[in-house]
Order: sequence, then structure tokens, then C-alpha cells
Amino acid sequence: MSETVVSTTGWKPNPRAARRRRADHLATAFGMVMAGILVLVLASILWTLLSRGLAGLSAAAIMKPMGPPGSSSGLANAIVGSLIQTFMALLMATPLGLGCGIYLSEYGTETNKFASCVRFVSDVLMSVPSILVGLFVYQVLVAPFGHFSALAGSVALAILAVPIIVRTTEDMLRLVPTSMREAGAALGATRWRVTLSLCLRSAKTGVLTGILLALARVSGETAPLLFTSLGNQNWSFSLNRPMASLPVTIYQYAGASYEDWVQLAWAGALLVTMGVLAINIAVRVSARRG
Amino acid sequence: MTETDPQVAKSPEVALAVRNLNFYYGENHALHDISIDFPARRVTAMIGPSGCGKSTLLRVFNRMYDLYPGQRATGEVIFDGRNVLERDLDLNILRARVGMVFQKPTPFPMSIYDNIAFGVRLHEKLNKADMDARVQDVLTRVALWNEVRDRLNAPASGLSGGQQQRLCIARSIATRPEVLLLDEPTSALDPISTARIEELLDELKEEFTIAIVTHNMQQAARCADQVAFFYMGRLIEVDSADRMFTNPKQQQTQDYITGRFG
Repeated sequence: MSETVVSTTGWKPNPRAARRRRADHLATAFGMVMAGILVLVLASILWTLLSRGLAGLSAAAIMKPMGPPGSSSGLANAIVGSLIQTFMALLMATPLGLGCGIYLSEYGTETNKFASCVRFVSDVLMSVPSILVGLFVYQVLVAPFGHFSALAGSVALAILAVPIIVRTTEDMLRLVPTSMREAGAALGATRWRVTLSLCLRSAKTGVLTGILLALARVSGETAPLLFTSLGNQNWSFSLNRPMASLPVTIYQYAGASYEDWVQLAWAGALLVTMGVLAINIAVRVSARRG
Repeated sequence: MTETDPQVAKSPEVALAVRNLNFYYGENHALHDISIDFPARRVTAMIGPSGCGKSTLLRVFNRMYDLYPGQRATGEVIFDGRNVLERDLDLNILRARVGMVFQKPTPFPMSIYDNIAFGVRLHEKLNKADMDARVQDVLTRVALWNEVRDRLNAPASGLSGGQQQRLCIARSIATRPEVLLLDEPTSALDPISTARIEELLDELKEEFTIAIVTHNMQQAARCADQVAFFYMGRLIEVDSADRMFTNPKQQQTQDYITGRFG
């Protein structure tokens, strides 16, 4: 065996390296503490929600409609109202958002002024305060008709959902490789058929994810509903009348001085959170399958 | 071509006649005064270094460049008595008659069966039995039928790269084109898949006029009847494959073929 080379300085401790190592540890510790605080905040919110909400969550809370304080009432009409309004909103927002997203991705090239304008407006709309959207719909669909309505509430929610669907649809379609479009065109397919049968089909998981994200986003919205669908103490299935919803009911009940109302508010908050959680899980599952 | 050209003389018919073709990517003049004939039911290979314009020329024949604003062509490409560069030409009919296979396999996000049926449905109304027969016919011709007959309804994305490329060829011939354009169809494939596709070309040329772009000189020598050498947007030389690889007339061709540049 031959001897290996031995240097005189190679393994001596380097003071600079020690300092760098200390800085490295410090930075790691800082990051971990901050992350810990964030988790702590979220955990304490969830803990409060669970401990207060579960106490109020009973069969009656889900099965019975709202009622006067002390009458063992529930949230049934608010739950159903929320479902109706968010799904109505999605029904309106999906075709509009899909259409816009398809236009921006397939027809709106960088040089297209109109497309740039649409893209900008859609992005601005995404960050508009939701109460502003509520005010706008109030002016357009409530004030002229002289009464609040579930339809107005749905429209307000739809306006909030559209830009999310537009953005995800455009982004997902842009991920479809150019080669797919060329291969479709090379067979003699029109642009529209290529878009619909090939591009949208390859991007369907991502597009669906966008729609679910929009659903999660609007299902907890309160402000746009306050002066559009207003809320309703009783059962109502008419889109032309005020309709109850969970977020608005939480807003009304949480500040009330009746103990049972406050408890129902917590139960409602827990229901909304669980709903959003379920949607988010659905998004993850669908994203993984695609 | 001339009478001293035995390979091409056997088939005097010309499927595609290119005359004084110029092509521009915006300001960039990519093809200069190209004139070349593509003999019917023969394989013409287009060779040359990257960026020499061979793929660009291929994409003129089915007007693929029309997808992109700013790209334009002048001159003539005569196919079945018409200049395919004419503005009012029906592109969907042209592309049904002039099929194209790309470098990377591009299976559509649907079943193996529907990958074939998709193109056919664009141009013909077939009943179920006729469509089944068409699918089986083209899959048999690309030697894929036995491998996929039990899973026609499975997604095409589950096939191997070589199988996907054969599926893409099957998809292209399912619309019964007269010309088949192949843009480096084997550059993403392993040697065995490449060999299968080359065998396939030999059978397909009995029925189709084939134009193939390739970086692989051996492939051109093996498959082609006629070879065209391009350099910097110009057609340097076109001749039968035999003569091109044994006795090229131009110095540039010889340098490229022997690997001195490219």
C-alpha cells in the first residue's frame, strides 16, 4: 500500500467556518420559530372553533330552521340557503370563467390589446374587496327592484368566483404543449375543435381544481351577501326573496346576547370550515389523480 | 428529373412540386428560392444541419405555419393541380390530404381507439362497424394491432414512446392522406422502435408520398429514394439516395455527409 498525501493545515479548525455555521443555525432556528408561531395561531383558531362549535353542533342545529332565542332552533334553512346560493353562483360563474379563460389562452396572444385588457380587469376583480361587489350588486339588482333576493346574493358570489376560474383556466390551458395543438391542426381539425376536444380535455383536472377553489373561496363570504340576499329567519326557496346563509347567520348570531344564538353561530362557523376543508381535500384528490 | 436518374425515373409522377419557394419568420428570410419535386409514392429525405430550413419546408406543405402570425411563404407548392399557398385554400381539406407526424409522439388525451377515430370523424361519417374496421386496418399497418387489440379503450398515454409514435402514424394515415410528412419521427425513440418505424416507411411508400426530415444520415440512406440537402435556407443538392451518399456533386454536401460539419 502506498501512503496518502498529508497536508499540514488541512484539518485545522477554521474560525470563519465556525462563524458561518453559527449563522446557519441561527437562520434555521428563526425560520422554525416563525413557522411554529404560524401553526400555533392556526391551531388555536381551530381549537376554539372545535371546542365551541362542537358544543353547539347537535341534531337540532342541523335539522331545525332558525327561530327566536330559547326555542331550541337550528341552522337548517341557513345551511340549505348557503348551498343554493353558492351553487347558483358557480352555475353562473363557470361558463363565464371558462369562456374567458379559453379566450385568453387560445386567442389572446400577448399582442392582442383586448385580451390584455380582459386579463387585467379579471386580475383586478380578483383583489376587489368583496363588500364592494356586494354594494355594486345592491345598486344593480336590489335597489331597482325594491327588495333583497337570493338571486342578487348568487350574482355577487359569482362575480367573486369568475376571476379565479378565469385565471386557473388560462394557466392550465397554457400548460398544454403546443405540440398537442399542432397535432390536432395537422389532422385537419378546426381551432375550436382542438381547443375543446384536445386542450380542455388534457387540462380538465386543473380546470376542475380552479372551479373547486372558487367554490371554497366564495362559500365563506359574508360581506357580498349582507345587502343582497340579506338573510331570512324562515325557510325560503325562492330566488326572488331574501334567503338565509351560514356566513350571514354567523354574523347576526355571534354578536347577539342570547347564549343559544351564540352557540349556533359557533356551530355554523364549524360547518363552514368543515365544508371548505372538504372542498380543499377534494381539490387535492382530483389534482393527484390528474 | 433527368433520364439518367434510375430511382426517380421509375416514377415520373410528381406528388408535390415546389417552385421558387421563399419563407419568412417575420423579418427573417428562412428559405431562399427552393424548387424541388417530390416523386409520388417515394420517400424523400431532407437532411442538413439544425436551422437549415428542412423542418420549415415540411411545415409549408400542410400550411402549419398558418397557426402563427408573422410567418409567411411566397412561391408555389403544386399539389393535385393547385397551389397550396393560395389564401382561399381550405386548410382542413389540405391537412386531411397531407398528414403530418411530429418529432415527439403526441397522443391525444383519450383512448387508443379514439386517437384514431378523432381524425376520421373530422372528415367522414362512418358507422360503428366501418370505424372499427378502419381502426383495426391502420393499427395493423403500423404493426400495433396485436399489441393493443385487448386495450383499445385504455388511454393512449399508457403506451411506450415507440408505440405512441406508431399510433401517431396510424392516426395520420387513418384520414387516408396522399402525402405523409414526417418531422424527425424517430429522434425521440430507441434503436429498436426506430428500426420498426423505418420498416414501416418501406411499406407505407407503396401508398403514400413520404417526405421525412431527419438528422440521421444512416436513416436517410436506409429509407429514402431521393435525398435533398439543405444548408442555411437553401437547397444545395437533390439526387437519388445512392448517388447522394456515394458521389455527391457539391462540396458542401460531401462535407456534411462525411461529418466535417453539421
